[in-house]
Amino acid sequence: MNLDLSEEQRLIQDTARDFARDRLEPVAAELDDGGDRSLMLDNLKLLAELGFMGLNVSHEYGGADAGAVAFSLAITELAKACASTAVTVSVNNMVCEVIQSVGSDEQKARYITKICSGDYAAGSFALTESGAGSDPSSMVTRAEVSGDGFVLNGSKLYITSAPYAGVFVVWAVTDPTAPKGKGISCFLVEAGTPGLLIGKEERKMGQHASATNEVIFHDCHIPKSALMGKLNDGFRIAVVELAGGRIGIGSLGLGIGLAAIDCATSHAVERVQFGQKISGFQAIQWMIADASTRLEAARLLLMNAAFRKESGRSFAKEAAMAKMFATEAANDACYKALQMLGGYGYTRDFPVERYARDARITSIYEGTNEIQRLIISREILKNYSV
Amino acid sequence: MKLLLVGEYREGRLLDTTAELLGFAAAISGDASLFLVGSAEAVPAFSGTLYLADAKVYGEYNPEVHKQLLLKAVQEENPDLVVFVHSSYGWDLAPRVAASLKLAQVSEVIGFAGNAYEVGCCNAKMHRNVTPLTSKAVITIQAGAFPALQVEGTPSVKVLSTDAASTTEFMGYEPAEARDVNLAKAEIVVSAGRGIGKKENIELIRSLAKAFGGELGASRPVVDAGWIDHGHQVGSTGQTVTPKLYVACGISGSIQHLAGMKKSGFILAINKDKDAPIGEVADVLVVADLLQFVPALTAKLS
Amino acid sequence: MKILVCIKQVPDMESHFRPNGSATWFDESDLAFRMNEYDEYAVEEAVRLKEQLGGAPEITVLSIGPDRVIEAIKKALAIGCDCAVHIKEPDVASKEPWQIASMIAAYARSKQFDLVFTGMQSQDRGSAQVGVLVAELLGIPSTTTLVGFAWADGVVTATRELEGGVKSKVRLKTPALVTCQLGLNSPRYPTLPNIMKARKKEITTLQAGELSSEKPLTGSAAFRHPEKRGSGVVLEGSVDELVEKVLVILKDKTAVLR
Repeated sequence: MNLDLSEEQRLIQDTARDFARDRLEPVAAELDDGGDRSLMLDNLKLLAELGFMGLNVSHEYGGADAGAVAFSLAITELAKACASTAVTVSVNNMVCEVIQSVGSDEQKARYITKICSGDYAAGSFALTESGAGSDPSSMVTRAEVSGDGFVLNGSKLYITSAPYAGVFVVWAVTDPTAPKGKGISCFLVEAGTPGLLIGKEERKMGQHASATNEVIFHDCHIPKSALMGKLNDGFRIAVVELAGGRIGIGSLGLGIGLAAIDCATSHAVERVQFGQKISGFQAIQWMIADASTRLEAARLLLMNAAFRKESGRSFAKEAAMAKMFATEAANDACYKALQMLGGYGYTRDFPVERYARDARITSIYEGTNEIQRLIISREILKNYSV
Repeated sequence: MKLLLVGEYREGRLLDTTAELLGFAAAISGDASLFLVGSAEAVPAFSGTLYLADAKVYGEYNPEVHKQLLLKAVQEENPDLVVFVHSSYGWDLAPRVAASLKLAQVSEVIGFAGNAYEVGCCNAKMHRNVTPLTSKAVITIQAGAFPALQVEGTPSVKVLSTDAASTTEFMGYEPAEARDVNLAKAEIVVSAGRGIGKKENIELIRSLAKAFGGELGASRPVVDAGWIDHGHQVGSTGQTVTPKLYVACGISGSIQHLAGMKKSGFILAINKDKDAPIGEVADVLVVADLLQFVPALTAKLS
Repeated sequence: MKILVCIKQVPDMESHFRPNGSATWFDESDLAFRMNEYDEYAVEEAVRLKEQLGGAPEITVLSIGPDRVIEAIKKALAIGCDCAVHIKEPDVASKEPWQIASMIAAYARSKQFDLVFTGMQSQDRGSAQVGVLVAELLGIPSTTTLVGFAWADGVVTATRELEGGVKSKVRLKTPALVTCQLGLNSPRYPTLPNIMKARKKEITTLQAGELSSEKPLTGSAAFRHPEKRGSGVVLEGSVDELVEKVLVILKDKTAVLR
């Protein structure tokens, strides 16, 4: 058994940490406060040039070919400084990975390279609909055969990076008569395609720099070549690829939680009340111990899921466990960190309130933690079925 | 102990740091002689042997030539310790002399005890003692570590010469440029707080910063009041600074401000309030009216 | 053209340092190691020169220490060095500047390097000796504390940082050694694809003992935290008295006042 990272993994972690410290941290609070989003887009471009958009993607398409463990490490480091940037990087990686996994050679060459190089600031996943959140198979967006292509109609909700995405991975119903989940296909739709409209941007509790929009398809004609994978096989693709995304979101939560408890611990060894540093009080010590232990457990769960993924083993259960546990540990760490800072923590003079808002979504998106529990128990129970 | 002090001379002027070498010699009760590539027309006050080479002949700093001249002085004087200031001159020349004589070198000495020299390490976070294992040694002393000493007397001059060939060609000096505010890299930061009272008094603090050769910082209330722009702000919502010296003028020491400056090497606070929280992190808290104290300190420094 | 870049791996300076058992140096366990910051500038400058010359120069990166230093070596390879030499020395902390320089010189002596880049000093030991010692041992000219570097037709034009923002400009013919100061350039981040591709670059391992058997010239002891500040000296009195007291204290306790 060896829990040490390889030299390459450590160098990638260091590079992410250095970049986050130099470029992300200085603008994170400003971006959170409604600052110019171009600050983040500039950083995304630099991150792409460094190879952060295709960590688990082949060199052939401009990826780093560094594996899922390196991906997890990188997202954690970026999220310590700026969760909005980290989520964009995580989603971009997932878009690249899904195209690499099921796309045609032409689709890979056309789209992965553009996300990896930064020509596209982002790629988007367009799965969720207003009536299809935790239950995506109940989606109603339609793709009908029309001439030598398809025409899309419907709308997608909560789409990360939509205003600056170069390409959208879109799921739509191609066979409404098929059993639930069996008539859905997956398409690649380029930004700017007539009939693809970017709707209103959500006003969110946190992760402000990352845009979250409605995406509307109104008689949106796409060529036959836009179909990714096999017709009516789209839902299976979504289920498989979301598991990888969960490692990303769990890693992101871990980063926020670590940043929060680090800030609070630094405060606790300085802040004096009742004539002593508050780190001398057991109430504070226990909060540090509990939060840090849960975060460390989260890290190990994430490393395990990522290691299984890059070793080619099954990892859906482990990724769900890691995502669920890490994001709850992150929320817990933020709560405790804010408590440790007291009134200071509730002000914008310290970053902990931002961490707390940014962390809150991590137990919701990329599959709510209730869905993660469903996946975990399903994976376990199937071994007990008679 | 016999010391050979290596003085510094640049553009026709003896550098002030040479007096620190004399301060070190006094502190260690050494018997000092002085080496200088300088001018016979302006020999420093000093009552010992001065090994002098003519700067007009041997030019501004030239490693190979200065090394050969210094080796001649070492040969003649046979000192126990060759002492440089840890400066761009000292750290460049000292290892050349140490290598030629295969002597131990101890760099950036800040103190001594017997044969052991105290030096900083790990970015000055830690200290250790370094002991030369050769009978004679070369050291460089940290600038500012030993108080400058002005001495009297007329040295007995021994003129040095060499025909050593130069391996580097000196092209000239570039004067210091005026810089933008760079608090993060500044060695000295002098900051203004709400205690300065009004916008006009920023100039008092600016003058003090200038006299220290440091950058001007400010606490948040001063920035919020529009007395100075945000680029100067130190604290959790401004810049985090770690200068060697931080001077807090009229800053009470809110926890937000402390977050941005508490890791400074030395903190001098000036405040009317003896119980101001800045006193908890300050090495020295001067209880005074800063409108009187600051100009007096500035005048003394200038 | 052949270039040598000498790099050291040092602990992250944010670390909490503890003395080792004999208090000669820090306890290495639990420390995270990085490339010495000054050496990042040396690597960057060498790679820039290689790029300026259309990729012609071959850059060898060298580091001395236990196996952990391979991480720093790989970073230099990812940034653009071509090949590497790892001088294996498990107890590198016990080797002082003279011994380190002797090893490097012993390796470099027969290799005909045109240029050697080193950091101006290490962040942990901070002796600022090794670079110059290597040059002296090799008998080649050297200059230190570079904030500007140019090479043309076998001649290096270097800008040295002196005190108080003043700089000097010097020229020296190659072969030569230069030591790099912070701010010489803007060191790039290694790209992730290059970190992975650098695995294919060759790292030659040499044993320190086979290169040099020089004995140490200095000994180290009493590695410790500096004495704590006398927390909060409070000064009161007349303005003139206060000014005098403050100046005495600053001269005594800080390195910034001359």
